[in-house]
Amino acid sequence: MSTTAGIYTFRLRSLIVLVMASTISTYCFLWPFFLNAHSSAHHLNNQIFSLVGVPVALAVLIVEISNQRLDAKSVALLGVLAALTAALRPMGAGAVGIEPMWFILILSARVFGPAFGFILGILAMFVSAMITGGFGPWLAYQMFAAGWVGLGAGLLPQHVGRLRIRGNTEIVVLGLYGIFASLLFGLLMDLQFWPWALGSHTQLSYVPGASIAINTHRFLIYHFASSMAWDVPRAFVTSVLTVITGPAVLFAMRRTKRRASFLTPIEFRASRSALTERARQQREV
Amino acid sequence: MIVFSGVSLIYPTSTKTILEDLTFTVAEGELVLVMGSTGSGKSSLLRLVNGLVPHHTGGILAGDISIQGISTREVKPGGLAHLVGIVGQNPLNGFVTDIVEEELAFGMETLNFAPDVMRKRVEEVLDLLSLAHLRSRSIATLSGGEQQRVAIGSALVMHPRILVLDEPTSALDPIAAEEVLSIVHRLVHDLGLTVIISEHKLERVIQFADRIIHIKGDGHAHIGTPQEVLKSSNIAPPIIELARALNLPDISLSVRDMRRVTENLRAELSKIDVSPALERHPTAPEVVIVDKVSHSYGVSPALREISLAIGAGEIVAIMGRNGAGKSSLLRAIAGILKINRGGISVCGLNPLELQGNERTKTIGFIPQDPSDLLYGQSVLAECRAADKDNKINEGETFALLEKFVPGISGKTHPRDLSEGQRLALALSVVLSAKPQVLILDEPTRGLDYAAKNSLSATLREFAGKGCTILVATHDVELVAELATRTIFIADGDVVADGLTVDVLLSSPAFAPQVAKIMSPAPWLTVKDVVAAIYTTR
Repeated sequence: MSTTAGIYTFRLRSLIVLVMASTISTYCFLWPFFLNAHSSAHHLNNQIFSLVGVPVALAVLIVEISNQRLDAKSVALLGVLAALTAALRPMGAGAVGIEPMWFILILSARVFGPAFGFILGILAMFVSAMITGGFGPWLAYQMFAAGWVGLGAGLLPQHVGRLRIRGNTEIVVLGLYGIFASLLFGLLMDLQFWPWALGSHTQLSYVPGASIAINTHRFLIYHFASSMAWDVPRAFVTSVLTVITGPAVLFAMRRTKRRASFLTPIEFRASRSALTERARQQREV
Repeated sequence: MIVFSGVSLIYPTSTKTILEDLTFTVAEGELVLVMGSTGSGKSSLLRLVNGLVPHHTGGILAGDISIQGISTREVKPGGLAHLVGIVGQNPLNGFVTDIVEEELAFGMETLNFAPDVMRKRVEEVLDLLSLAHLRSRSIATLSGGEQQRVAIGSALVMHPRILVLDEPTSALDPIAAEEVLSIVHRLVHDLGLTVIISEHKLERVIQFADRIIHIKGDGHAHIGTPQEVLKSSNIAPPIIELARALNLPDISLSVRDMRRVTENLRAELSKIDVSPALERHPTAPEVVIVDKVSHSYGVSPALREISLAIGAGEIVAIMGRNGAGKSSLLRAIAGILKINRGGISVCGLNPLELQGNERTKTIGFIPQDPSDLLYGQSVLAECRAADKDNKINEGETFALLEKFVPGISGKTHPRDLSEGQRLALALSVVLSAKPQVLILDEPTRGLDYAAKNSLSATLREFAGKGCTILVATHDVELVAELATRTIFIADGDVVADGLTVDVLLSSPAFAPQVAKIMSPAPWLTVKDVVAAIYTTR
């Protein structure tokens, strides 16, 4: 017995590629701490690696995902939600980190699962960069980080023991995740930006080749300063929007998911007697 | 060629079979009409043709369907895309791009056609559907008929052998509908295209149909020529109702044939003196007063100095082409549209200033898409909210709904209802406030004859209690059945305003079928004719 196509999920191979790509990009986010040599040539190599590594890892991942045939329904859903999310991002005018896009990403990933959430994050960032002209070396980092936010939201448990997480509990969980995700995204973006942000001679600047402790200390101070201005408002807006719109949006999306009849059984029978029998059984149920 | 052999269908969660043991063959170049009441499985049948059912929706299918020798068991909808073109109910939902030309090319682009082939085919389709002068227009600015033609065009560029149309004229005015159907007719005759069409407004389509598949509610179907099927079917357009009422031995499908058959009868009836049965109540107090209202969107004027007075208990139909200003006028009266110039008063009040309960008790407005009014998460929640807002006993709104459409489940989501049920729900919610003026914008879209009759009955009962009703509609048969007075609007101006009989009879395109047959006698509906015959004998 076959079924209609399901919502997009990772296969084993795409999972392996995802882990590899994520490992590379994690290194690229963290390279300032691992650099020991003082030579500027080595420094440059690392810069180039991190500038090239993330986009390449992302490209490989996208190729793998598109090799796995996406069903028309998943494509349509992905397209609409990515466009919506991307269009919402500039609504906050970029002021103090207010980007009213994260709540849609989190809620969609919650309903449609981690793989869908990951691709949605990547796509939404890419599309919003097209809208706002935000292309640059940072884009691949942003796409990856948004993908991780979606992935994480999709991985939040549906059950704890025998208790289903639904209703108010679910909204609280998602609201808390919204705070966590906004702060995480801010942290990742600071990591990516910090080595370039301040020039080389301030007290908070990155010191190439210095010990991890020194750089971590400098980074944390820098991050604290920037996060007060950017990440805290973002976390506030995201979690408030998640809590306010959550019940209605989750309901609408779950209804969409049901109506799209993912993974509904398809059967072909030769005669119709089996079919009337089935109808009778369902009536009895 | 389409072959259905012993096809039965059931959806996984449904308790009743949608179709049962359906066997028929559609030959090349045939135009087949699928008819049936709402929810009878028309759309399922259409979607079986290109395999969307069951590949996209799930379901258990018995029997076999083959399209040009390809069985839909083995091939997914994508594999039939070059053979079957499908156009959905609302063309706007299917458009991907903004410009007519781009929309036509879009399907070919996704299939990686060579640019010169695309260019040639776009030109060909532009000519075939008379769209050449619209090629660089934005789709949003087109009229309903033009949009429907673009939708058909974007299916035709793929050179399908079969075209499937789901209610192509339900949102169109009679003239635009004629335009779309005559082009479909031409495609069938010139290109040998096979067309399967579903439609509620049978009076528009039957003269074009070669055969009819009538799906009865229980899954069984009656297949045959229009004469065979319509002789006994429980749904029939006015022309057939008239033939039945007159006990004619043969059924004619076109006005011309019907006039030939009824020649003697008309001669006999012309001797009697007919005066319109309906009179306007001159003494009724004026409830809605529109005084020199003008409005424009940007530079294009929508309403030009319109003045009207409508009395209590009147049922007024507002007719006119798509984009003539009907909706603008209704929205202005409802106080949703802030007009540029002029004054409007409803029950002596300015509709723009009405708030809260005072508003719902004065004006009830049902927009073109009734789901705009429905925001509850179930039918029952919607009804309870209405009970609470209007401070009436709990359950009263739901009881009203039960009266319109019995057997609706309270747990259903409003958007999962059929068109007719959704309209009934919106109507119940609005009527539970007992407004003095009820305004409906295009209420019969997607309604079958039964639902339309129950709508007419409800509205007439309501008008009998002294409520004023304004209906904007393209449906001349509904106007003939329901309205006491008709206002015809063209380009923002009132062109005609008077008794329904006078207005409808003065314009051949907008005359109902019965009037066309019985002309020059002033009868609009089968009921009028029967009453006239009754008085003579």
